[in-house]
Amino acid sequence: MRERRTIVDTWWYTILLMWSVTILFPMIWVFYESLKTNQEFFQSVWNLPEVLQWTNYKGAWQKYGIGSAMVNTVYYVGVSLVIGTFLTAINAYVLTRLEFRGRKLMWGIIMLSLFLPGINALIPQYILMRDLHLTNSLTGIIILDSFSESAFYLMMLSGFMQSLPKELEESGAIDGASIFQIFFKIIMPLSTAGIVTVAIFKCLALYNNFLGPFIYLGDPGKYTIGVAMYQASQIMQYKADWVTLFAGLMITMIPLIFMFIFLQRRIMEGATLGAVKG
Amino acid sequence: MNELPNPVAHVAAPQNQQWKQKAKFQKRLFIFLATFPAFGGYMLFTLYPNLLSVYYSLLDWDGIKEPVFVGLNNFKDMLQDDYVWRALWHNVLLMVTITPLVVFISIILAYLLANKGYRFHSVFKVLFFFPNILSLVAVSLLWSFVYDGSFGLLNAGLRLIGVDIGNYYWLGEKKAALWATIPPSVWGAVGFYFVIFLNAMSTIPKSLYEAAILEGASHRVRLFKITIPLMTPIIRVAVLFLMLGVFKGFENILILTNGGPSGSTDVIGLYMFNIAFGVGIHNYGYASAIGMMLFVILVATKLAIDKFTTNRDSEY
Repeated sequence: MRERRTIVDTWWYTILLMWSVTILFPMIWVFYESLKTNQEFFQSVWNLPEVLQWTNYKGAWQKYGIGSAMVNTVYYVGVSLVIGTFLTAINAYVLTRLEFRGRKLMWGIIMLSLFLPGINALIPQYILMRDLHLTNSLTGIIILDSFSESAFYLMMLSGFMQSLPKELEESGAIDGASIFQIFFKIIMPLSTAGIVTVAIFKCLALYNNFLGPFIYLGDPGKYTIGVAMYQASQIMQYKADWVTLFAGLMITMIPLIFMFIFLQRRIMEGATLGAVKG
Repeated sequence: MNELPNPVAHVAAPQNQQWKQKAKFQKRLFIFLATFPAFGGYMLFTLYPNLLSVYYSLLDWDGIKEPVFVGLNNFKDMLQDDYVWRALWHNVLLMVTITPLVVFISIILAYLLANKGYRFHSVFKVLFFFPNILSLVAVSLLWSFVYDGSFGLLNAGLRLIGVDIGNYYWLGEKKAALWATIPPSVWGAVGFYFVIFLNAMSTIPKSLYEAAILEGASHRVRLFKITIPLMTPIIRVAVLFLMLGVFKGFENILILTNGGPSGSTDVIGLYMFNIAFGVGIHNYGYASAIGMMLFVILVATKLAIDKFTTNRDSEY
């Protein structure tokens, strides 16, 4: 009996290890190849690099315009994140804790978006953006992404804000605080944990956003990192400069890796938070 | 008590009134400032385009010339368009493979971590989740390198274990390409569902398992007789999300193959996307019609699954 158990245990363990290898191996492989020369890479996928070619990273940075793409990405993500998160926070507060006419209707209209597949709006949205002269500009996608309210984030935060005691606002009002003060001085600080979670998720989503920037940004000088890497991979087929492309892919993953290392607990908790509600 | 005049209230009343008025105004202003930008943006960039797409689907329009109203012609064309049916078929194939694979793998992984108390528990947990935060671009590019015929990791690995298939370009072969798009999707999605299932499992009372162990139930019996039945509601939600996600998704395929070789990986979202934004084609009317169909399918699928799964529940 005991014997059999160990064997089964080993089997189970093997499954865990196998999946770990499946996850890690492709990424380690790309990292490892990114430090070779092209010749070394063409000779054999398995050979160790003789000298670590960190210059590939510099090469990718310059050849694929990753430098400017990074600047664009930081600008796009940063601005959309600040505006978007602030709007989500203030909206969640108004829609969950204040009584006013039309509140339920507004909430219902926003929740409708959960049923609308984004792809359906793509074409009219594109025409609209074109007519507003917002295509091929980072400002355009920033406006689009910071003002497109997402029911998902709103739900995440409203659950959080609902749990705050009602007395907070009442005592604030008795002390003569205006609603602006109540929101900024009481509600916002108390909801920090929820707001930060929303911000992290928005940040990941914006950094990873491909389709929007791909549709709206035509000029290579305006590419975000995802679009730049996609275009680089399309060109690569004719240039056979693999190692630089590997380096480029690593560069796009590095911010995510760091973000995940530092915020993994929050990210994983937040993911379930949203899912349980949805 | 009522007859007694309250001097304080009497004096304070007008001031109080004014203060109340001011607070009311402030509240209104606040509500307006708080909701207008985001709600307005939502109406403008999400809701209005969604409604407009209904109208666009009735037009023959390339976005530049004067639109021509053609009624339901786009929908008629669509029914006769073999590419639409081929793309839909691919969607169905992906849906019925990716969904069970993701659910199955993530349940097994979650069960192992939830019930075995392994060391490195949290390392596994974090590692498994990681692919989920990578972008579709990163995941797709990574896998396109793995799949490369001449220098890809997959063929090199196969050679290492004695299977030499030469320079087989997984994404360039009509027969293999569609199947090759499955592993990247599974690889990228398992982490999320694994964490969801893991959390759900941790709420199952330990005593149930203890009783089962006393009766000599094996892991397999415990998994299928206790864990999975108790998690049915959450599995149902996962299945729904996965199915709808696979039906809507096309970015990964856009990056991996852009529908090629010769349409063998085309899915409905990608077909629509390429008709609208592809090189040299801007058939906005027709693409909108396809979008409408996709919308109807998604809603119908959701309703069907809801109905089906609730019926199943009542049997218990």
